[in-house]
Amino acid sequence: MLPRKFTTTRPSDLIYAVTLLALLTLGAPGANAGVSGPVVRLFPTTVLEDIRETGQVAEDMENNLQEVITRLDMQEQLYTESLCQGADGDQGCDRIAKQLGATYLEMLDIMSDRLPEMERAVNNTRNSLESRLRQELGQRTTPTTLQNALLGESGSAKEAERPALRGRSGVRLSDRFKQYYNLVSTNREGASKSLAVVASDIYLDMDEAAHLIAATQEEIGRAALMEQLNQSFGMITPEMAAVVGGVKEILFGESMAENAIAAPPYAIGETDFVSPLAM
Amino acid sequence: MSRLNYLLVALLSTVTLGACTTAQPDHCAVNLRGNLGTAMNTAETKLASGCEYHFNSYFNSLLTIAEANPDTDNKMLFSDHLMRVNDMGVISRRQAEGLYNRYFNIKFVSLQGDYNTCSQTCPVRSQVMSDMQAELHDKELGLMRASADAASFYRADTLLKETDLVLEATCRACSAGKTQ
Repeated sequence: MLPRKFTTTRPSDLIYAVTLLALLTLGAPGANAGVSGPVVRLFPTTVLEDIRETGQVAEDMENNLQEVITRLDMQEQLYTESLCQGADGDQGCDRIAKQLGATYLEMLDIMSDRLPEMERAVNNTRNSLESRLRQELGQRTTPTTLQNALLGESGSAKEAERPALRGRSGVRLSDRFKQYYNLVSTNREGASKSLAVVASDIYLDMDEAAHLIAATQEEIGRAALMEQLNQSFGMITPEMAAVVGGVKEILFGESMAENAIAAPPYAIGETDFVSPLAM
Repeated sequence: MSRLNYLLVALLSTVTLGACTTAQPDHCAVNLRGNLGTAMNTAETKLASGCEYHFNSYFNSLLTIAEANPDTDNKMLFSDHLMRVNDMGVISRRQAEGLYNRYFNIKFVSLQGDYNTCSQTCPVRSQVMSDMQAELHDKELGLMRASADAASFYRADTLLKETDLVLEATCRACSAGKTQ
């Protein structure tokens, strides 16, 4: 029961952008940093404030979308349970499909309303981190001291103290930013070894998310236009469902990625021989 | 005898003498085996008696022996060996440090420098990462296979990944600063 006009659109572009945005934005570190290495001020108050604000904007967006997405889910379930797939000409099914399309448009409207603010917040975080990374790690650090900072002077760190590298977390976007905030706000004056990784991680995520938000905004406009046309036919499509899935993935982390196989322990071996030749 | 015959005789004599010379055992050629400490002593004795140019092959043989007999003490044995070879004047202190750290330390010799990261590392980032990757293979031999220190090797592996991430971000930030 694919609509004639919807199949000629390119909602897949939107799905692609949305999914990539989710992939890039949800990757994050997740724990505290240790205490050693040169002090590098990557997270001054201004950066912390940017991160906090980005989390707040993400939370507002989630709250706005939560209700409409729940409604979409219910309508989709009703449509499926009513065996409307392929039931051409059934008035009841047409009505459900139209309601579903209208809710879908509502979701797109909310996203297009909220994304500019999200874009601004993400850009602010990216720019402030970019400046700190350039100054602190790029200009005030040599490759040798950078390595020492990453490793820590002790040469070891407890596993729990180290952040994970980029990856999908399956948690809400706003919660992720809260984690960022808590992570760096409690350790910003301390060790740089893990914070360098955290700062790099957030910066790369923000940089790529900023581009994808812009792309998503463009695609939302196109998808909304096509769905407005489809409203006259009262149909729902797999593409619509996929877009909704992508949005859920961004905001609520509902798409669970496969858990990675556990990494080996970080603890250094029991025999901590230190050679006089060691760097 | 014609002049040609004289030449032929002379040539034959030269070839025969040459064959006799190569048949003599090479003083520096030694098949290091068995106990690592003993093999190191043998190598050092050879190095002290005119075989300095065989240092690399001796060192590789010693690594092979250590790989066959992994032990956490091997790291220390190599450190002591390199110090002694340095004292003998066969290799410089810098060479000794380079070899030890390349094989037995978590830190990467490939990521060194005295200038800022933006100017020194970023322009050659891909080469640095490639060198570090190659060095990680040597650390696998030195740390994991020869010294049975898997934890240190895994830490080096993580350090490589972290460095890759941090350099990507830092170099992007450096680059953005230039264009502003």
